[in-house]
Amino acid sequence: MSSLAATVQNIFDEPGCAKNGSKSEAERRNGCTKQLQPGSAAGGCAFDGAKVALQPFTDVAHLVHGPIACEGNSWDNRGAVSSGSDLWRTAFTTDLSETDIVFGGEKRLCKAIKEIIDKYDPCAIFVYQTCIPAMIGDDINAVCKAASRRFLKPVIPINSPGFVGSKNLGNKLAGEALLDYVIGTREPDYTTPYDINLIGEYNLSGELWQVKPLLDELGVRILCCISGDGKYREVASSHRARAAMLVCSKSMINVARKMEQRYGIPFFEGSFYGIQDSSESLRQIARLLVERGAPTDLLGRTEALIAREEAWAWGAIEPYKPRFGGKKALLMTGGVKSWSVVAALQEAGLELVGTSVKKSTKEDKERIKELMGHDANMIENMTPREMYEMLKGAKADIMLSGGKSQFVALKAAVPWLDINQERCHAYMGYVGMVKLVEEIDKSLSSPMWEQLRRPAPWEALAKAMEQMQSPATALADPALAEKSRRARKICICNRVDLGTIEDAIYAHRLRSVEAVREHTNAVGGCCQRRIDEILVSEPSAMRQAAE
Amino acid sequence: MAQSAEHVIDHVELFRGPEYQQMLAKKKIFENPRDPAEVERIKEWTKTAEYREKNFAREALAVNPAKACQPLGAVFASVGFERTLPFVHGSQGCVAYYRSHLSRHFKEPSSCVSSSMTEDAAVFGGLNNMTDGLANSYNMYKPKMIAVSTTCMAEVIGDDLNAFIKTSKEKGSVPADFDVPFAHTPAFVGSHVTGYDNALKGILEHFWDGKAGTAPKLERKPNGAINIIGGFDGYTVGNLREIKRILELMGIQHTVLADNSEVFDTPTDGEFRMYDGGTTLEDAANAIHAKATISMQQWCTEKTLAFVAEHGQDVVSFNYPVGLSATDDFIVALSRLSGKEIPEQLARERGRLVDAIADSSAHVHGKKFAIYGDPDLCYGLAAFLLELGAEPTHVLSTNGNKAWQEKMQALLASSPFGQGCQAYPGRDLWHMRSLLFTEPVDFLIGNTYGKYLERDTGTPLIRIGFPIFDRHHHHRSPLWGYQGGLNVLVKILDKIFDEIDKNTNVLGKTDYSFDIIR
Repeated sequence: MSSLAATVQNIFDEPGCAKNGSKSEAERRNGCTKQLQPGSAAGGCAFDGAKVALQPFTDVAHLVHGPIACEGNSWDNRGAVSSGSDLWRTAFTTDLSETDIVFGGEKRLCKAIKEIIDKYDPCAIFVYQTCIPAMIGDDINAVCKAASRRFLKPVIPINSPGFVGSKNLGNKLAGEALLDYVIGTREPDYTTPYDINLIGEYNLSGELWQVKPLLDELGVRILCCISGDGKYREVASSHRARAAMLVCSKSMINVARKMEQRYGIPFFEGSFYGIQDSSESLRQIARLLVERGAPTDLLGRTEALIAREEAWAWGAIEPYKPRFGGKKALLMTGGVKSWSVVAALQEAGLELVGTSVKKSTKEDKERIKELMGHDANMIENMTPREMYEMLKGAKADIMLSGGKSQFVALKAAVPWLDINQERCHAYMGYVGMVKLVEEIDKSLSSPMWEQLRRPAPWEALAKAMEQMQSPATALADPALAEKSRRARKICICNRVDLGTIEDAIYAHRLRSVEAVREHTNAVGGCCQRRIDEILVSEPSAMRQAAE
Repeated sequence: MAQSAEHVIDHVELFRGPEYQQMLAKKKIFENPRDPAEVERIKEWTKTAEYREKNFAREALAVNPAKACQPLGAVFASVGFERTLPFVHGSQGCVAYYRSHLSRHFKEPSSCVSSSMTEDAAVFGGLNNMTDGLANSYNMYKPKMIAVSTTCMAEVIGDDLNAFIKTSKEKGSVPADFDVPFAHTPAFVGSHVTGYDNALKGILEHFWDGKAGTAPKLERKPNGAINIIGGFDGYTVGNLREIKRILELMGIQHTVLADNSEVFDTPTDGEFRMYDGGTTLEDAANAIHAKATISMQQWCTEKTLAFVAEHGQDVVSFNYPVGLSATDDFIVALSRLSGKEIPEQLARERGRLVDAIADSSAHVHGKKFAIYGDPDLCYGLAAFLLELGAEPTHVLSTNGNKAWQEKMQALLASSPFGQGCQAYPGRDLWHMRSLLFTEPVDFLIGNTYGKYLERDTGTPLIRIGFPIFDRHHHHRSPLWGYQGGLNVLVKILDKIFDEIDKNTNVLGKTDYSFDIIR
């Protein structure tokens, strides 16, 4: 455990992170994640963080050493997508039982590793530590070392048991494991001056594939993507890349910085969310590659491609502008998306009423201010209740967020769109942003929201009755009187309301059901009696009020 | 030999064996075989717009019509009364059809007798068959009532049911005061929904209007009760039980007329129930005093409702109310007619349906559907789809008429999602085939026969309708009420998700999207 504690401390000292750099020595030792508050709802643990960060490596067997809980609940729970092996989706766990916990689980782990090799022969095995074996003292580093030697196969310990901290810490510990055991252990078959690494990109819904064709067109090769649609061989030889793009800085900054330190691979933080951001990222990739010796024509080719793609994307978003006029959006997501999506939404004509900055860096916040002005509503930490109040108060027409706040939006009967990991649409790149706008449009135009917001009709009726009984208020609110007149159906068969029939009777001075039938759509069959009643009654109070 | 006594293979497997395959191949040359290329060409041609035009120009021939005949509806309505034996005056073959049809759908025995008219009866009239038939069925099956309807045969020769029944009673077939309501239900007029209407009206007329002149007419003494008529409905078991539950929740005194929810769902406990449940004859008679009568299906009860209205009741009809708005209208009508409050329980059920719609509507939104079935069912489903943001592109009802078309078209025009959608009255499933090829949709909603269209056109079928022969037990769950709306939503969603899975399950090719979470 001491080595794990040292690794954790090491991670907390991250010069690549501006926020971390500005802290005092003592603060830094406390770590960069907020201390958890017992009793309050919290996110995932360090194990989960490590698992989600590495799980997208497709040809690796991911073996979870622990009781069923850890793998049972996390099995195949992310929409990362593979272009090859399906092995990453298979759940491997040692499924520890009571005896293992009494006598130790190391032997069982070793056997499990052997059985995976016998039955699946993957190119590598990632062994994830969890709380229970860590507490009873199973040394997975030693088991993995022994297994690697015995089976002549990379068996990588991912030492990130849940109790050491947050999900984000787990992401970073996963990165440390890659740095310690994987990166630089193999050589690529060949290299080109156009080789790059993508770090912290998970190919959710296959969105990397919306960007890859653009890179292909420029001749830029993704030597390795950590970890979306990643392969073991690629990450092992990723130290030969010429440049790197850090996509999710929060999860993998340590990997990018240490690769720069160890192998001299320069990196930049970028995003493919949003149109200008995609362009900016392509530019940066080209710039870094040229700086490291790629032919300079890459810059010109990149600009030409950007011009073409931007023209297409803005053109595709244009038609939505009139539809989005006056519509307000609330963006509840983390990191780069807090600003990178903003530009595209603004371009499509949506007004942003707030964006969350819980997982955003200082730079992210600066970008937000640039885009949304200095009085931008940056939400540090919003409880579901506050979120609900904000939506319920009609301060936003649509919320874009992760699955966890989905139900807050739905209960507030406000359109909602998933832009985090469980979404089924890919929003990366130029194509993705157009898709996002399309999805927002679809969500805003769904007839379901009207149903959702409408109270049960009997509540509306009760209100109208109440109003009728106190004519003063009915007179005071003609709109309401009119509404309830329109809401009350007289002819059920053809759905003709009281208002229409009353108006027809008044306008044409009708005296009989026959006449009403002629002037309105009312059938006058089963509703004959009701129409009769209207004919003999004085003009209703509601009608007078509505006038 | 593929077949052996030790291991008998059924037809699914047997004819795939090499000896059968060889035999079938050799036999082909004796079957005046056509050039396969020509067959293929014609097959493709039948998918074109040109063929569709010719198809829609069809005047005389019906191909795969989606409707059944009047007496089927009459039998369906009749079994909904206490110990009532449906008696169909005419040829016995017809009656065997109704029994098997209902049995195959409900997976229950269906009891119903015929007067078994033969050639001589067709020439000399069916009076003797009626007399003997009533006497035999009365003695053999001990019914409390015999509800008579007719097949075409009796109608063509003009048998007068009123006179025949009277004569039979005089001859002592059944006691003079034994209830024998009747309805003329020729198959060459209308469809099973018309038959339902006629039979129910015949029964109410019998009890309310003096039992064919043998008793004084009832005088209406209005009370606060409400009558419910379900109409012809493949989901009658689930639906009527749900409606009764709602009425009881609201504390409304009620009579469900033609309540066949028990007889089509008898328990297996060692006792054969030829009759079970049903509206008691007393309740049927007393239903005249009710404040109002609600029909769940307008086109199943046109004559019945008019008859009820003539007796001074409020009448309201719906069109197979499915989903949120339609159920709202139904519940509000119940409350308005009965003066009863809507209980919290229903408000919660409504909230749950709203919640479910909110959770999943993104998957239904924008999808195109083709629907066929009985006129009311089509209307109810189309309305629900519009509510979900789906487009009911083709709505076809073989037994829908012009009035149905107008109402349907008005519904479609009322929603932005109904633009470009079309109602097709009087068309059949061969027309539907052309529609599915020339203007494809994402999903087809229909009965079991839709599986041929599904195979032919590749349009996934969602089974909602009558008859459903090849799936079991769905008739036990309601489609009405908020709970029913939820069931319909789930049926639709299941198919949508099945299709997504089906389109992403090729190993190593498309399975990168074969996701756990949808």
